[in-house]
Amino acid sequence: MKQRVQRRGAETPRRPGGRLSRYLCITALISLTSVQAQTLERAESLWKLDNYDAANNAFRDLVKAHPKNPDYRVRWGRLFLERFNTAEAAKLFGEALAIRKDHPGALMGLALVAADGFEAKAVEYAQQALMADPKLTEAHVLLARLTLEDNDAKKAAEEADKALVISPQTLDAMAIHASIDWLDDKDDNSDTPWIRRILALDPHYGEAYAMGARFFILNRRYQEGIRFYRKAIEIQPDLWSAHSQLGINLMRLGFEDEAKAQLEDCYQHHYRDAATVNTLTLLDSYRNFVTYRDGNTILKLHRKEAALLRPYFESEMKHALATYEKKYGLKLDKPVQVEVYPDHEDFAVRTMGLPGLGALGVTFGYVVAMDSPSGRKAGTFHWATTMWHELSHVYVLTATQHRVPRWFTEGMAVYEETAASPEWGDRLDPQVIHAIKSKKLLPVAELDRGFVHPTYPSQVVVSYFQAGRICGFIEHEWGYAKLLAMMHDFATSATTVEVIEKELGMKPEEFDKKFLAAVDAETKTVVAGFEDWRKGLKEVAALAKAGDSPQVIEKSEAIRDIYPDYVEAGSLYEFRSDAYLALNNKAAAIQELEHYAKIGGRSPETLKKLATLLVEAGRPADAAAALDRLNYINPVDEDLHRRLGDLWFAQNNNDGAIREYQAVLAGKPIDPATAHFNLAKAYRRASRLENARDELVLALEAAPGYRPAQKMLLELSQSEQGK
Amino acid sequence: MLLTTPTHAATYYLTVAGLGGEPDYEQRFGLWAGEIEAILKSSGGDAKVETLKSAEATRANVRAALEKIAQEAKSQDALVVMLIGHGSYDGVDYKLNLPGPDLSAADLAALLNRVPATRQLVVNMTSASGGAMSSLRKENRVVITATKTGAERNATVFPRFWVEALRDPAADTDKSETISALEAFHYAQHKITEYYESQKRLATEHALLEDTGKGEGVRAPSAENTEGLRAAAFPLVRLGAATSIANNPEKMKLFEKKEQLEQQIDELKYNKAAMQPDQYKKQLTALLVELAKTQEELEK
Repeated sequence: MKQRVQRRGAETPRRPGGRLSRYLCITALISLTSVQAQTLERAESLWKLDNYDAANNAFRDLVKAHPKNPDYRVRWGRLFLERFNTAEAAKLFGEALAIRKDHPGALMGLALVAADGFEAKAVEYAQQALMADPKLTEAHVLLARLTLEDNDAKKAAEEADKALVISPQTLDAMAIHASIDWLDDKDDNSDTPWIRRILALDPHYGEAYAMGARFFILNRRYQEGIRFYRKAIEIQPDLWSAHSQLGINLMRLGFEDEAKAQLEDCYQHHYRDAATVNTLTLLDSYRNFVTYRDGNTILKLHRKEAALLRPYFESEMKHALATYEKKYGLKLDKPVQVEVYPDHEDFAVRTMGLPGLGALGVTFGYVVAMDSPSGRKAGTFHWATTMWHELSHVYVLTATQHRVPRWFTEGMAVYEETAASPEWGDRLDPQVIHAIKSKKLLPVAELDRGFVHPTYPSQVVVSYFQAGRICGFIEHEWGYAKLLAMMHDFATSATTVEVIEKELGMKPEEFDKKFLAAVDAETKTVVAGFEDWRKGLKEVAALAKAGDSPQVIEKSEAIRDIYPDYVEAGSLYEFRSDAYLALNNKAAAIQELEHYAKIGGRSPETLKKLATLLVEAGRPADAAAALDRLNYINPVDEDLHRRLGDLWFAQNNNDGAIREYQAVLAGKPIDPATAHFNLAKAYRRASRLENARDELVLALEAAPGYRPAQKMLLELSQSEQGK
Repeated sequence: MLLTTPTHAATYYLTVAGLGGEPDYEQRFGLWAGEIEAILKSSGGDAKVETLKSAEATRANVRAALEKIAQEAKSQDALVVMLIGHGSYDGVDYKLNLPGPDLSAADLAALLNRVPATRQLVVNMTSASGGAMSSLRKENRVVITATKTGAERNATVFPRFWVEALRDPAADTDKSETISALEAFHYAQHKITEYYESQKRLATEHALLEDTGKGEGVRAPSAENTEGLRAAAFPLVRLGAATSIANNPEKMKLFEKKEQLEQQIDELKYNKAAMQPDQYKKQLTALLVELAKTQEELEK
């Protein structure tokens, strides 16, 4: 860090686009008054010497002495920005703008803060900064970077060129060009004309490679990203941001030892941003995880829930991999690793610095990280859907060598969720209905923007929906093979426009029209009637509260078909079922809850209620099926496993009963004696007498006087003696 | 664990459901108290059950009920007092919200002290109930509170799971056909933890148990902290026809053998960590088979 800052001062004249402009700005400020100049110079010098605390104090004094000077606040804000405190930086930029509303430095600062959080407002701020100072090359470079994040290489190059026209030696603008070439595979072992130009000006400018690495990572090309971070460090060993990113991405791909070494090096050198520190903490926590390797699967589970989750996760993982191998016609050359985090914060560390939702799962090459069902409120998370979603990414990214637009890989993954089971996946939610109504769906060629730089809060969710429906639409109209053909086209680095034209024989604009027409046809009832439905639901809720069951049924009948997909809390199915129960019509109550389950309702309480009603109605097989659904939603539930185990045992499904009773035990039940005894019964029925005997001993160890277990132990002992 | 209930001893149960404040709570408190009453009445034995809820749950009525028990009960009898509702704690005194004047922990302690039944259990399931611990604890009295201090003021879910513990055979972890106070405490505690975890909510209640008469209460009673011994031997609800077979002179010999085997099993379990697993399993299995045979003989 120290060397970098020293060089920064020495090299400033060679970096007119970035640091030179700041230098000139500072020089201008210094000329204002000698007292101010000395103080500002001192603050800047301290910063350059990495004495951040002293620099911070100097800036504080300066701002206190000159409260009406926005420049000092901007420089102070940039110090905060460099030292990972974006909130404080944004505050200072905001204060500067309150003093001078078109301060280009403050606007630029806010643009950088917004860009850091992948906020679409970054573009707006950068453009405002350019209006205030048309020669602000840094703003052009940022706009180029943001455009390239949306995968629009052409516009990104144009924006970079604008910076180069103003200042031909803007290294970061050249790095944008170099990144475009790298992403487009127009390089010979990372050598391009642009990087040659950069290195001719500054042979130690590792940030150029780091910029390329960042774009590779954003495009999920992790191996190349890592290679470029290594190159960045090679020519600029003290580029700690690159060391940190190298460590984080090594961790993401499972190379934990080297990751830790890189991150600890950063920490030792006082590079301690949230991502570095949190990743180190996460790596430390790995000692609490156990890893299971079995053929083509590697499963990493937290010790506290490993025994419980392993059977469910491992079998589902194998099922998904076998299905995808067939569907995608691709055999992976190494095992896939799935990491399951019970603490959402741990999972969140893995997605830091990445755009998009990343809320449930994330894929890094052959490594998938996801939330554990225990990390989420029961009923809000369908872990199997997430696993199938992420494993689809593994295949699509591998098949395309990671050269695939975000919309397509997400679209395929969303499409595969419901292909795995119609009850899985996400339903049409109110946010999406609103987006359709407000005509907010994006053209397919620009859909990546909705994931990376959302312009409204729910745009990422809406973009997932849209991408999934586009893949579903293509499958419906042209067949699944067309999706595979598109996937292979993307592998050749073809763009969305090229692929749509080639495979679907039409311009993207024409495709958009057809797709939107299909979406409109599919959703017209709910879009047109949404407000009526919402009002109606409110009335039904009030009637239910008042206990007016006949009215609940009548009123809900009128609105039920407007929005049948709604199975969240307070769904009409639940109100209707309760009303029918109150009127003693169990058959109708069951029917409502069966609809609820079929559409994808996930409330554990409601699904258990359905199971109880089905048992009462003499339909134990259906009751078991209702409970088995919950294994994919919230397997951390002793009551579920005990009830399902009992149902399967009664239906002579011994393997099923054994799995469920084992799950009861894995959850450390309140009543271990009964749990061991139940498992012993299932083992005995499955003719696994040795296992049965072991379980009986464990049951009696917990409760020596437990009569049913004593009786069975005697029976087994006597039958052994009789042999 | 052999539950030590003296022959012909009676158990007096008093359940009080205090003011709900809101219809929802009022209904819930009354429902839980009603369920407790139904469970206790159906469990048989010499159970004397009284429940005060809604408008009847006044301080005067609580006082009258305990005074009546004080007159009737003998020293070998047992007393169980269960409190449901909203509690408050001002840093000095705990109070249970009741229609009319509230009942303080000190008032309740004074009333309990007058009851001659030497074995007593108080289950205070209200918010802020931890604030009552210091007033209620006493030698020969098991005190359970839903919260660890008087500062845990949110409405509790403890009663819901306490009621469940009384009716769920799974709470009877040692299969003695009797749910002890300790078993019910463990059951409720386990379910409460599950509840808050599944709801992804920060737990706002942490139940305590105290039965030495001088402790602050603990969350995990054990031999190490000397808490839980009395609670383990305090029968709360009988699930089946658990009668003391030891009273049958004809089977005394078999009963003694059974007790010896149980003791040997306990000793073996105690030494488990120091033994080879195979050796332990072999010896344990042999003892368990023998115990099962003895039990079979006893039941003939």
